[in-house]
Amino acid sequence: MSRLTSWLRPTTIAHAHCDIPCGIYDPADAVLAARTVARMVELIGKLPEGATSVADRNTFARCVAVKEQHAEKVKLEVAEIWSDYFKPEHLAAFPDLHTKVWALLKLAGKCKQTVDAQAAADLEAATKEFADMFWATKK
Amino acid sequence: MRRHGRQPRGGRQPLRLRAFLLAAAILALAWDAGSLVRRTRRGPWRVEVAGESMVPTLRPGDWLLVDPTAARWPRRGAFVVVREPGSDLIVVKRLAGRPGDRVARGDGPPMVLGAAEAWLASDAPGSAVDSRHYGPVDVDRLLGRVALRYGARGRFGRVR
Repeated sequence: MSRLTSWLRPTTIAHAHCDIPCGIYDPADAVLAARTVARMVELIGKLPEGATSVADRNTFARCVAVKEQHAEKVKLEVAEIWSDYFKPEHLAAFPDLHTKVWALLKLAGKCKQTVDAQAAADLEAATKEFADMFWATKK
Repeated sequence: MRRHGRQPRGGRQPLRLRAFLLAAAILALAWDAGSLVRRTRRGPWRVEVAGESMVPTLRPGDWLLVDPTAARWPRRGAFVVVREPGSDLIVVKRLAGRPGDRVARGDGPPMVLGAAEAWLASDAPGSAVDSRHYGPVDVDRLLGRVALRYGARGRFGRVR
C-alpha cells in the first residue's frame, strides 16, 4: 500500500500561496497608530471637567472612537508582523520577543479600556521598540 | 463452408501472427499518441497542492491530475496550473477571465483581456497572490488544466 502511495504521489508542487512574498511588512503603521492613541488620550484630557455641551460631548465621543480604532490597529499590525514575519532565527537575536509582544498587545488592550496617559506612553514606546527590533532583522 | 476463389477469412494466417500484428499496431498507436503528448506537453501531469489560497475547494496536500496538453485557456471557473509571472513558481489558480473578457482591476477602470490573456483568481478570501497582484497572464505561462483530484483519500473527484 505504501509503495502504491509513493508511486501515486505527485512529484511536483503546485503552489497556492497566500502571502505576497517579502518586503511588504512595515511597522510604521503600528507606530503611527500608537502615536494616535496617545494623542487621543491627550485630547480627552484637555476637555473641560464636567463638560456637557453638545460640541464637547461630540469631541469626546470621537476621541474615544479613534482611540479604540487605533489601539485595535496597533494590535493587528503588530500581531501580523509578529506571527508572519518573525522567524525562529530572529528569536536568537531577540529572545524576549514573545514576552515583549505579549506585553505590547496587553498594553493596547489597556489603552482601549482606560484613558490612561501612562499606558498610552508605554504603548507608544513599546511599539517603537518593536519597530526597532523589526528593522534590526532587516540589516 | 468454403467457397472457391476466395480466401477464407483468417484461415491462412496463423493465430500467433495475427496476435503479433494486432499488438504491433496497438503499440505503434500508443507510441504515436505518447510522442504526440510528449511533444504537446507543457507541464507536469500530476501535482500536489501546497498553500491555502484555494481553500476550501483545494486543500494543501490534495493530489491533482492535470491535462498537460492544454494549449488554450479553458472555460471560466476551471482550475489551471501556470508558471507564475515574476516568481516562475508553478501555481494552481482558478480561471476568472478569458481572452476578451472585461475585468475589474483594483480601483482603476475595467480592462479588456488580450487574445492570449487570462485573469486568475484565488478561492480563499484575503490577500492571496493572483491576477490582482501580477495582472493578466499570457497563455505562454499555461502549463495545464486540472482534470481530476485523486487524493487525499476520500477527496477523489472533479474539482469545480
